[in-house]
Amino acid sequence: MSALAKTRYFWRSAAVGLKHSPFVHFIAVTTIAIALFSAGLARGSARVLDNLLASLGGEVEVTVYLAPELGQDEAHGVRARVEELSKGQVTLVPPDAALERLRTELGDLGEALAELPENPLPAALELRVPPEQRTPEALQVLAKELRALPGVSGVDYGEQAVERLTAIARALRFGSLVAFVVVLGATVVIVAATLQLAIYSRREEIEIQKLVGATDRFVKAPFLLEGLLQGLLGAGVALLGLWAFGRLVGPTLGSLFAFLLGPGVAAPWVEPRLVMELVGAGCGLGLGGSFVAVGRFLRV
Amino acid sequence: MIQFFHVYKAYPGDPPVLSDINLSVEKGEFVFLTGPSGAGKTTLLKLIFCAEKATKGQILVGGRNIARIRESAVPYLRRNIGVVFQDFKLLPHRTVEDNVSFTLDVLGVPRAAARDKVRRMLKLVGLEHKANSFPLRLSGGEQQRVVIARALVNDPTILLADEPTGNLDPALTVEIMDLLTQVNIRGTTVVVATHDATLLARYQKRTVRLERGQIVSDEDGVKAARRMVV
Repeated sequence: MSALAKTRYFWRSAAVGLKHSPFVHFIAVTTIAIALFSAGLARGSARVLDNLLASLGGEVEVTVYLAPELGQDEAHGVRARVEELSKGQVTLVPPDAALERLRTELGDLGEALAELPENPLPAALELRVPPEQRTPEALQVLAKELRALPGVSGVDYGEQAVERLTAIARALRFGSLVAFVVVLGATVVIVAATLQLAIYSRREEIEIQKLVGATDRFVKAPFLLEGLLQGLLGAGVALLGLWAFGRLVGPTLGSLFAFLLGPGVAAPWVEPRLVMELVGAGCGLGLGGSFVAVGRFLRV
Repeated sequence: MIQFFHVYKAYPGDPPVLSDINLSVEKGEFVFLTGPSGAGKTTLLKLIFCAEKATKGQILVGGRNIARIRESAVPYLRRNIGVVFQDFKLLPHRTVEDNVSFTLDVLGVPRAAARDKVRRMLKLVGLEHKANSFPLRLSGGEQQRVVIARALVNDPTILLADEPTGNLDPALTVEIMDLLTQVNIRGTTVVVATHDATLLARYQKRTVRLERGQIVSDEDGVKAARRMVV
């Protein structure tokens, strides 16, 4: 009974607190909303980048070159081994078929190939990688394993392009993580500062609470709830902003970059997982800020 | 109920505010604490409700030694002590009823039960008709009665009043003092700090006189009143 009454009092007091200093809380909510909106945008951009990498991985053709001295049976043996390792579809392209394909691709110039004394192309295996392995990291591991196979003279999958893209993606992710941490830190400081103003404006009330026997926890609880409410409101505003962004700017971006990025760019910017993450982050920011504020101000 | 044993209070670099205080207040007693400004009356009251800590000595409140009380235990001690100040300390944006029920909110008393208690307490101090008024709309005497109601609403065993009539005219002073006397008759131990000699003469209660941080006299009401007249 007593706990319920206290809980009711805390919520009532927190709501009164929000009403009591609307401007101060508006600043805190706006700060949290901006931080979370930026984080949401960064998340959306990262997802687009992931889609790009995944689609690039899907389009990359892994070609396994076989040693020239390999016989027909041995080539089939390597093929079976590659199939087993990659769990993908493997097609054996004998040297004659490879030369014929090259001739077709070169068109009129292809006739020049007839002048060659012998076929310079080795037998090759064309590997269609299953979807779960179509990431730069998985491709790298697979290529390494394939190169180690006996009878394999080389593996090609556009390694440099994929590695460069992976490095760019990694740098972008790291940069956005650092920026995100800095923004989070700044947000906590701003939220704490605004809440300190709110606490200061209610110092008389706090003094009387202490006088009539309130514990530190009792005094602090409404302010922590205020922080939590600020975080929830901030997350709500940020999600609304992201939803509006997705509706207004998403389709334009999609049509502009669809040729490069594929369908991923047009995916909704507000997903259930992002909602949970931003609401969680909002609560964390609000609580963190209020925790710092009450810790600093309510040493009574 | 309240006992001081060789209690000292000093702030670094200053002469002691209280020196070698030995005092015993029985349960249900009414005691005036008097003396000139700066004699140490307020500090002595603050020691009782742990707003200050004694530099030396022991203080027992309800049999509990509070001279070295843990910080976390202070709120629980205060729930047993009502405090009334000269400057009221009321929340101007809350109604009279909300100001009084503030104490019960802290204790987690359910709203309905709290409302009943508050109404009874406002009736006791004669302000039941002002429950929905805001403090700044009340006279000084009425505001002080609200403070007394807030201090008593959770039935504390001790009531401390620091110059409770300091801001009031003579008529309101009598009103408040009569109320404190009534509270005492109901069984609450009351300690009132005042430098108003007319109060001492009129109410004839035990009077402890402080000067420069030391107790210089501790007399029963009649004797103290006689000395005031002389």
